[in-house]
This record gives sequence, structure tokens and C-alpha cells, in this order.
Amino acid sequence: MKKWIFPLLIILAMVLAACPAPAPTSAPAGEQAAPAAEEAAPAAEEAAPAAAEEAPAAGEGGVLVYNSYNSDPLPRAADEELVQMFQEKTGIKVEHSIVAHEDFKQAIRTYLTSDSPPDVLTWFAGNRARFFIDKGLIMDISDVWEREGWNESYPKGFRALSTVDGKQYFVPTSYYWWAIYYRPSIYQEVGLEPPTNWDELLNACDVLNEAGYIPFTIGTKFRWTAAAWFDYLNMRINGPEFHINLMLGKESYDDPRVKDVFAHWKQLLDHKCFVDNAAAYSWQEALDFMVQGDAASYLMGAFITDSFPDEMEEDLDFYQFPIINPDVPIGEDAPTDGYFAAANAPHPEEAKAFLAYVGGAESQTYFAKKVKRLATNSQVDPSIYTEPIQKGIKLIQSADYVAQFYDRDTTPEMADKGMNAMMAFWDNPDNIDSILADLEKERQRIFAESE
Amino acid sequence: MAVNTTTSIAAKSAQRARRRRINWVPYAFLAVPLLIYFVWVIGPTFYTFYLSVTDWDGVSRNPGYVGFANFQRLLNDDPVFWIALKNNLTWLGIFITLPLLLGLSLAMILNGQIRGDRAFKVSFYSPMVLSFVVIGLIFAWLYHPRSGLINSTLRALGVGPRDLPGWLADPNLAIYCIIAAAAWRQVGYVMLLYLAGLKNIDPSLLDAAQVDGANGWNLFRRIIFPLLMPVTVIVVVISVIDSLRAFDLVFIMTRGGPANASQVLANFMYIEAFNNYNMGYGAAIAVVLFLISLAFIITYLYRMLQEELEI
Repeated sequence: MKKWIFPLLIILAMVLAACPAPAPTSAPAGEQAAPAAEEAAPAAEEAAPAAAEEAPAAGEGGVLVYNSYNSDPLPRAADEELVQMFQEKTGIKVEHSIVAHEDFKQAIRTYLTSDSPPDVLTWFAGNRARFFIDKGLIMDISDVWEREGWNESYPKGFRALSTVDGKQYFVPTSYYWWAIYYRPSIYQEVGLEPPTNWDELLNACDVLNEAGYIPFTIGTKFRWTAAAWFDYLNMRINGPEFHINLMLGKESYDDPRVKDVFAHWKQLLDHKCFVDNAAAYSWQEALDFMVQGDAASYLMGAFITDSFPDEMEEDLDFYQFPIINPDVPIGEDAPTDGYFAAANAPHPEEAKAFLAYVGGAESQTYFAKKVKRLATNSQVDPSIYTEPIQKGIKLIQSADYVAQFYDRDTTPEMADKGMNAMMAFWDNPDNIDSILADLEKERQRIFAESE
Repeated sequence: MAVNTTTSIAAKSAQRARRRRINWVPYAFLAVPLLIYFVWVIGPTFYTFYLSVTDWDGVSRNPGYVGFANFQRLLNDDPVFWIALKNNLTWLGIFITLPLLLGLSLAMILNGQIRGDRAFKVSFYSPMVLSFVVIGLIFAWLYHPRSGLINSTLRALGVGPRDLPGWLADPNLAIYCIIAAAAWRQVGYVMLLYLAGLKNIDPSLLDAAQVDGANGWNLFRRIIFPLLMPVTVIVVVISVIDSLRAFDLVFIMTRGGPANASQVLANFMYIEAFNNYNMGYGAAIAVVLFLISLAFIITYLYRMLQEELEI
């Protein structure tokens, strides 16, 4: 018997050692999801009597499981309200879970590949959606597009973004622009106009530093804020065509043009344009410096207004990222968000009804008003937009090319390695040659695999 | 110690069973937990071994067999792996020594008659009750470079703004900041283990030693510490396992950044598997981590069992 004990103990010990990581990670996501589900439950009960009055088209009293990543306060409220409106309209009971943004991005694979996936999920248009569509995990909703007349009411660009091999899989519902947000009061105080070219940008950094302000705040803990700088520097210096080819893996990272991007970036670092210790902050934590009046500007998406205190919003404006090389076409980042349904969704009819609802003018008008995003459906009356949004629309419409964003335009793995390289550069700008050489090796491996 | 008693009980009941022919009842009771155990623990472990020789992306139906390519890339072409391994070993080194020394000292101090020793014991042990997520967040606030408690204190003491450390944002400091948070949690736990050990020491032994003229440091070094050896072994084993599976704090505080400076194997595995969708590669990292853990555990078990068999 003694002989038994030894191997048994080894196995026991092996298991103790083998089960470390993933379990705790799901905990924060779960915690956040749980209250959301609870909140949704009473809402669903209230909706039930309303269903009896109307005669809904798809599945009366049906159920729909909907997971979303709208975890910031304002989009979260709008998201819950939207679900409520849908329930009242159709009588379909929605089991709604809101998961923290970063956690959702990592959990979506588990959702989509499970045997009973959520019916409808929020997601990003473009390459990030394409990945799942190519794997056959996403429901073909061409019939919804056809039935709802979206082929006419959506601009061609958005239709193309949702189409793979002539079929539609995605409903883009909102998009937003990126720009340099700033506090006009601080710029006025130091006598600055928004910079329009490279020299003015560097000069702005110097003037603001001189006056004791942080020129640009940035929180790079989750790295993507730095990727925005890469996107814009690359598009302004080398043009959007080179940028998108680089994203698609068709250009190499040790190209002299990429080195030029980092040479410009190094000038920004040398001029102390950024807040110290950026890597310690999430993007919201870095925003605090701007709210408190220590920092003057922030390169950020339009969702910055969600987190900016309402009473201070009058002192928040934005300008286009300065032109660096006037000879190249102008590219802007305008990421598009939307919805898709899982291919083996347990409730396909309800899922389609929900997609039809969120893609329609009514819900998009509501969302655009409430969260101040831009609606994709051209039936949404443009006069609902406030003045800053009109300015954002003009910014995007005047662009020659619209990119999604670094981590949406390239593959997730390439984005991970690329953003790590940016962080390594940030700490050691002089090592850029070896950093880019390593990154190029990764590019060759990653895109060789995906072909 | 708990293991010792169970094994001896098991050995005795085994002898009894042999005398009485085989009694199937205990095995019937064991069968259910064992089945669950095999399905949810042993099975996935072996499945991970299998995944580590594939290029599975977590979505495709059929993982493609790639042999040892994942391991080759890991050991030869991936600088991040070596950073992570180095950080794990740093963690291990600090985690074995620091909490052990502090915990032992606290136990020695609090074991004497001190007014309010219970309050001290509770307050030192209380961090153990907090989850890693909470600890990670609290320490991230302490380390906040502009308004965190540490830098605010330093500023009040007159350190210039340019000389204030960036803590988690500084690639040279980040990993140590995280280990400090982990060690803070561990100290109370180690203290408690040693306190229990100290209570088990026969007071007449100490009296006898004192009569023989041993006191202070000598008493501790020659008598108490050797008697605490079983506790020390357990503390070391726990520390080794905890530092190899370090994940939560890194994930919460830095996600391995800046630029992988605070990367550890478990977080690296998580990012490759669930962020970059390289399940096969992630599994390979898990297997390497498993083998490293196994080396420590086998050494420990082997020694422990040898002692056991000698008795």
C-alpha cells in the first residue's frame, strides 16, 4: 500500500500547482456582470404586461440573451434603457449582462465558442469582427439587412464594413471620432492657438511646460492610448495608405518610414509633451489631471466626454491632429461599434428582432442623443446633433481615409506585440532600432501563420 | 504535518484492510470525488499537454499538430519568456526570504507576554482575508505617482518632483512593487504558522536549555529554530507554489507592463492564450510552468516521504 501513497501524493501536488491562473480573472468580470443581470430582471418583469397589449412580430414572450461591454456609466445607462425600450416594444424578455470593457474583449471567445452562446453581443466593426466571421461563429443576417432596407439607408462604407463575401454579418450602430481634446481656458491663459502643424505642436509643448502645465496627459497602462499616437503620427507622416498596409501586414516594421514615425515621437518625448509615469494610469486616471487643471490636452476618442464632468464640459474642446506632411492624404481614426449574433444562438429569431431594433432609426436616434455618438443609419435626422458633434462629423467627413484604430485594424496578436514595442520605446527611445527589428520578426511570424 | 497524520492513518487502515481482506466501502466513497477530480482536474491537465503541441487558436474545430514548435519558439525566440521567468525567480527569492524573516520575527515577539498581543496578531493577519484584487487596487493607489500616499509623503519630506519614483510605471521598479504587495499579505500568514509552531514547543525543553545557560540568540538558534523546522519547510513550500502561480496582482496592477517589465509566466500565458488567441502557445507556457513547479514539488515530497518511511 505504501507504494500507492507516493504517486497519489504527487498527483495531488501536481494539481495544486497546475490550477493557478485563469479562475480568479473571471471573478471581476463576473462581479460586474452579476448586478447588471439583477437590474435587468425586474425590468423584464415590468415589460411583460406591455407585451400583452401589442402583438409583437417575433416570438411573443420569447427570451434573448444579450451581453454587452458598455461598462462606463453613461453608455451603461443608455444600454439598459435601450433594452427596456426593446422589451416594451416586442415583449421579448432580455437577459442582459454588462461586462467590463477589457474583460469582455478577452471573454468573447469563450462566449462565442460555448454550446449555448449569448444570442447577441456588442463588438467592433472591421478586422476584429472579421476574425470571428471567418471562423463561422457569426450569424448571417443578410435577411435582416434586406428586410429593414439597410442596404439603402446605410452609407456604403458601413455596409462594406459589415459584409464578407457578399453577406452581411454585422450591424454597425455608432461611431466616434478621435481628436486632440483640450481645455481652451488653459490654452488662452498661456496664449496658445490649437497647433496646426508639427512645429506648432512642439512649440505648444514648450509653452505649456514653461507655464507649469502638462501639455498632454496620457494613461498607457492598457497601452492603446499610445497606439492612438502611433496611428496619427504614421498617417500624418506616411499617409493612410501606408498605414493600413502596415496594419494588414503588407509593410514591414523596420521600414525607414516607420523609423521616421518613432523619430518624430522621440521629439515629443524630448520636448516633455507627455505626463510623467504614464504607464501607471488607466486612461480615466490620466483624465483626472485634465479635469483638475494640471494637464492641458489629451489625444482621445469622443467618448472622453462620457467621463468628463458635465459642469466643466464648456471648457472642453477639440482640434484635429496637426498636419505633419502636407503632401499626404488625411486619415482619421473613427472606430465603429455595433452588434452581431452568434451563429448557433439559441434564440435566432429574437436575436434578429433585436438587431433590427438597434440598427433602426429610433434606437440610434436615442443612443446618439444620449451618449453623443454618431449614428450610422442615415435615416437618423442630423439636426439632433449638438454643435460639438457637428464639428466631429465635419472632421470625419473631410478626411480622405477613415481608419478603425490600431488594435482594430491589425490582428489582436500583432496589436499586442506592437503596443508592447511602443511601450518599450517609451521607456528607452534610443533602443528603437532593435525594438523595431524584434517587432518585424513578430510581424513575419504572425502574418505567415495567418496566411 | 496534517499530511503526515493522514498518511499514517492511511497506512494503518491499509494494514487492517489487508488482514480483513479488501473492504470496498471506502473506495466506493472515494469514487465520486475521484471521478470529479479526474474529469475536472487531471483530464484538463493532460488536455493542456496535448494543446501545447498544437497551434490551436481557441476557436477552430481541429487543432493542428505542430510538434515541439511552440516550445522551440518559447525557449529560443521569445525574449518575453525569459523576462517572465526571471521575474518569477525574483519573486520566488524575495517571497521565500522576506515574509519568512518578518513573520518569524513577529511570531517571536508576539509569542512573549505582550500587552494587546491579540490585537497585533489580528491586525497582522487581516491582510490575508482580503482578496488579491482588493490588495492590488489598494497598492496601486498607494503607488500612484502623483497623488499616492507614498509619493505624497516623499513630497512632504521635500523630495523634488523630478526625483519622485514612478513605482509601477518604472520598468525597473514595477516587479518589486508588486512583490512588496504580495509579501505584505503573506507576512501575517507566516506569522500565524510560526505562532502555532511555537505553541507546540514543550516549555520544559526551553527551561532545560535556560538552566544549561542558553539564552537570547543562542536559545533561538540552537533550540527554537531547529524545533520549528517542520513549519519552515511548510512555509517555504507554500511560498514556492504561491510565487510560481503569481498572477492576480500582476494582472490587476500592471498587466505585465510597462513593456513586459513586470511580466510573470502565468500572466504571460494568460495574455498569449486569451488575448492573442494562441491557445497552443499558451498551453506550452503552462506546461513549462507546470514542469518547474513539479521539480520543486517532487523534491519536497521525496524528502518528506523519506523521513516518513524512516519513522
